[in-house]
Amino acid sequence: MSYDQSAMNELHWLIDMVQTIEVGLVVLDKNFDIQLWNGFMENHSGVSPNSIKGSNLFEQFDYLPASWLKQKMESVFLLKNRAFISWEQRPYVFKFKNYRPITGRADFMYQNVTLLPLSSLTGQITHISLIVYDVTDVAINKLQLKAANERLEHLSQTDGLTQLHNRRHWQMCMQKEFDRHSRYGDKTSLVMFDIDHFKKINDSYGHLAGDKVIQHISHLLKQSLRETDCAGRYGGEEFSVVLANTCAKDALNFADRLRKKIEKSELVFEGESIKITVSMGICEINDQLDNSGQWLAYADQALYRAKESGRNNCVIYDQDSAQ
Amino acid sequence: MPIPVLICDDSALARKQMARTLPKEWDVDITFANNGAEGIEAIRAGKGEVVFLDLNMPVMDGYEVLKTIQQDDLPALVIVVSGDIQIKAHERVKALGALDFIQKPVSADAISNILQEYGILTIALGEEAVDTPMIEVDLRDACQEVANVAMGRAADLLAKLLDVFVLLPIPNVNVLEVSELTMTLKATEERSTVSALCQGFIGAGVAGEALLLFHDSSFKDMAKLMGLANPEDRNTEVEVMIDTGNVLIGAFLNGISEQLHMKFSQSHPVVLGRHCTVNDLIHDNSEKWSRTLAMEINYRIEDHDIQCDLLLLFTEDSLPTLNFKLGYLFE
Repeated sequence: MSYDQSAMNELHWLIDMVQTIEVGLVVLDKNFDIQLWNGFMENHSGVSPNSIKGSNLFEQFDYLPASWLKQKMESVFLLKNRAFISWEQRPYVFKFKNYRPITGRADFMYQNVTLLPLSSLTGQITHISLIVYDVTDVAINKLQLKAANERLEHLSQTDGLTQLHNRRHWQMCMQKEFDRHSRYGDKTSLVMFDIDHFKKINDSYGHLAGDKVIQHISHLLKQSLRETDCAGRYGGEEFSVVLANTCAKDALNFADRLRKKIEKSELVFEGESIKITVSMGICEINDQLDNSGQWLAYADQALYRAKESGRNNCVIYDQDSAQ
Repeated sequence: MPIPVLICDDSALARKQMARTLPKEWDVDITFANNGAEGIEAIRAGKGEVVFLDLNMPVMDGYEVLKTIQQDDLPALVIVVSGDIQIKAHERVKALGALDFIQKPVSADAISNILQEYGILTIALGEEAVDTPMIEVDLRDACQEVANVAMGRAADLLAKLLDVFVLLPIPNVNVLEVSELTMTLKATEERSTVSALCQGFIGAGVAGEALLLFHDSSFKDMAKLMGLANPEDRNTEVEVMIDTGNVLIGAFLNGISEQLHMKFSQSHPVVLGRHCTVNDLIHDNSEKWSRTLAMEINYRIEDHDIQCDLLLLFTEDSLPTLNFKLGYLFE
């Protein structure tokens, strides 16, 4: 075989491979007119190279994000530097079907696209090439993994009955607020409360009723929270709230409002109306606290005093009256 | 009488390259300075009638040297030799009284053209070329100079794209153990969170990863500069990261590949983490790493709250090839 013939063969093979490779190849000139359109692009778009050659990419496919894509392409011409577009910015550039329409989970093909400057024989950048990769499987896997991790994270932080933070996660939030105070000195208050005579409710109406009561109170609590507040179910019938940027006086307002709301609300269980009240203890953070545990203990002491003084009320922790 | 010439650059390789590239027949007496302060001292001592001055140096940078020369009216003709090829850098040094600007890495042609243009080149008759003093150059220094030039290329593209001035630091190049890398990275402010983009690259015998660490406070400003529609939108952040990565990583690798005469393939960029601490990023992968050659460049954009770190991490098995390729630069 002569040298010429073998070179011809190589070229022929290369063209054949470029035509059938499972990667989209497009060449555009400076006006974004299509100069090359390989088999992958033809099959997925349904438009043949012959009918598309020379026509403008953005007129041909009017769904393309023209200004966004043009900006990227122009920077490739300007900087003579290749550019990458990831499915993480935009799931796809070309609206192609997913390869597995039946068993796959995506309706469309996720794509990574590389924009490559092409130089002419004189070294000028006269054209660019688009290389389109199908990354649907990678993208779906990553998205599913992310969703699964988020679900797991939520589960590990949330109390099942009330959908409030569970104790472990709430304590982490409280520790964070405590640390924030020691760094920035923000005012923050801690509210602990529990349901008065909860055992009696359980005994007279049953545990199902008890659960309903806890859910009912969680619901009212959630309604009263601001975005920066952090509420958790601390124990059986015990709740805890960190109120960010709140002094003791404002925390008392918050607590009293919630207490009255709970007192006024009516919970009907199997035709019977259950009256509920709560007692609350409040402690504002201060520089004398050694650690977050002490903060919690002081709020607990205030709660204890609220119980002692007749229940259904709110008490602010007071250094002098503490035992 | 020989002309007193001062070469002021913090890189030993750059000083050596510069001294070697001076016209052989030029009758000169060369003095070297490691930073701007040493440079000024030498000029005051009459050792720098002609000065080849780098811009990015520790202790006192090239801009300050130019200012001092201007203020104190010191007798020195300054030619700036820098990897910072932004047009604005060029304009600034000229405004500060520099004669001209030569792009790194220096070529003999560029130097003799400039010397001739300004009539500095007076050829000594019949005298043999003076042997330039020996300078020790090691791998780290050579890598640092390569990174310096590549960093300038990348900054130039970014400046062109955004029409800003990019402040260039001295690149940090070290062969590190993983634990040391974590420490280096932690130095980038403990409190702020970052988002990271990573892109693999590989060429014959040299492989590694480029890591772009974006300080989260930079996103809004950067999105505005790029003219993106919704600077507040969180999806815009991915856009900003990938576009910045396209420019910086691509240009930096181009700069390296030109100097080492090799080509790199690049993987698609991947978002490594968002709004996390540097610790989290490294921790996730640490058991896979051993020793790495790290080039760290901290880009800042003038007049904007934009800061990002570009990290090029070469695998341990790339070191022999790098050593071999850089060997050519020593000669």
